[in-house]
Amino acid sequence: MSVPNAPHAATPSSDAHAERSHSGAGLRTFLFVFGGLLLLTACSYLTFRLAADAPAIRWPLMMAISCVKALLVISFFMHLIWETRWKYVLTIPASIMSLLLIALLIPDIGLRSRKYSEERLRNAARPRVGNAGDEHGPAPHRPRPAVDPPR
Amino acid sequence: MDESVHHETGHAAAKLRYQPALPIPNGKLCLWLFLSTEIMFFAGLIGTYIVLRFGAPRGTWPSPHDVHVVELIGAANTFVLIFSSFTVVLALEFAKANKAALAKSALAATFVLGGVFLVVKGYEYSAKFRHGVYPSAPHSLLYDRADVNYSAAVKAHLTAMRAKLESRKTELASRDASLPESDQRRLDLIGVLQRDLVQWTDLRATHASDPFVGDDALLVMAQMIYPLHAHEAAARSAREREIAELTATLASLPRVKGIGEHVPPMAHRETDAATGQGTPAEITGQAVLDDPQRIGARIELLRRADSGEWPHGLNEGESWLRLPMHIPSGHLWASTYFLLTGFHAFHVLVGLLVFALALPLRLDARRAGLLENAGLYWHFVDLVWIFLFPMLYS
Repeated sequence: MSVPNAPHAATPSSDAHAERSHSGAGLRTFLFVFGGLLLLTACSYLTFRLAADAPAIRWPLMMAISCVKALLVISFFMHLIWETRWKYVLTIPASIMSLLLIALLIPDIGLRSRKYSEERLRNAARPRVGNAGDEHGPAPHRPRPAVDPPR
Repeated sequence: MDESVHHETGHAAAKLRYQPALPIPNGKLCLWLFLSTEIMFFAGLIGTYIVLRFGAPRGTWPSPHDVHVVELIGAANTFVLIFSSFTVVLALEFAKANKAALAKSALAATFVLGGVFLVVKGYEYSAKFRHGVYPSAPHSLLYDRADVNYSAAVKAHLTAMRAKLESRKTELASRDASLPESDQRRLDLIGVLQRDLVQWTDLRATHASDPFVGDDALLVMAQMIYPLHAHEAAARSAREREIAELTATLASLPRVKGIGEHVPPMAHRETDAATGQGTPAEITGQAVLDDPQRIGARIELLRRADSGEWPHGLNEGESWLRLPMHIPSGHLWASTYFLLTGFHAFHVLVGLLVFALALPLRLDARRAGLLENAGLYWHFVDLVWIFLFPMLYS
């Protein structure tokens, strides 16, 4: 009942060989990757602190740092850098599908407020409070006597 | 198995060799197939968040500070997850090298770190809930716009709180006791807010011929309850404008006794002057706006706000108030934040379950496959957080 590729089915020598080819340089590599990830997290936090007043710079920069971190995790921690080409079969179609989903949202949801402006909102029709019209008849637009008092 | 097949079917079948579809174990293949659906799941969620956030009306997306998001906590949690990813890598390496005890301690460390992540997440959630930031009604105190509906919500809230305190007061009075000092102070503050904040704002919004005056009053009210950094300058100048206008009005009014001096103040009635019910016919909304005593009280309230009596707003300074808050795009922010972090936290929980099941086993080279699969899943969870961190915390 042995499955050809199960780890325990392999002989010790081929196991050692597979390990070497599988996880590259071993622990040292992982330690470097871990250090790099910590450094990048610190960079991300520093970006947030230093570019606090410039969201246009802060956000893309932090996302770029995250992309590098993700690449490190995928390549080394998830061993994809040492895997054969099956990795593309399983990851690329899924990524394309999710990108398509997002692209489909943009024309409607993403652009829903592209014609908003401060001025438009200010001049938009709005509901009035309570039934103030009862006091002053149908048009409650009595000017506020700001300077000259009525009495 | 294939060897016995060879023996039974003879040399004709000897050329048939087992050829796996992919050069990886079935378990790993299944996990990668699962991960590819997870990629679609989270990329869909994250992508939708990005579309919603950058499609929101310009400048409305709340800043982290507005919704009690603390970047340092997020960064610390990122560190925790990255560290746990590293320990799970160590567990796999130790298991491959047949160091079962070391592998077990590395996996235990991963389990603990995952638990720490969830505890921190729970603390963050509770901080949001404490401030009334919920994804939806009935607990949510978020309002997207400071309009008349918002002021109506504040009014309803204050009325309900007042009724509660008043009924307590009458109940205590029937037993010849009086309301505790702190409760009486609350009752007084509610009265001031009902009269000089909400009613005044409503009247200005309805009686001013210039809609900007009403907008200003509503903005002043919203900022007094829950200040947003982006609107602070506009609110300050609106307060200054109103103080200047009211001071001029007060100076120009003839020196006669205001109606406030012979009619009980509005806040001590059960009804609203704007509706006219239960109010003497001569007291119209306009009369309230022209009442020197009311103008003076309003100026005093505005001065209190300017002097920084509630530097972080009434909701922070008087946390028992829990008034509705004006946070533009706050609803959308809360929905997306809780959805994304909630699904991620659920995945962390599942990972912890897997680790808990694996921990009692002897983690030698025979278990390397199991550890590799569990690790792949855990790295993916880490990966998602690596993207959630800058998106949600900045």
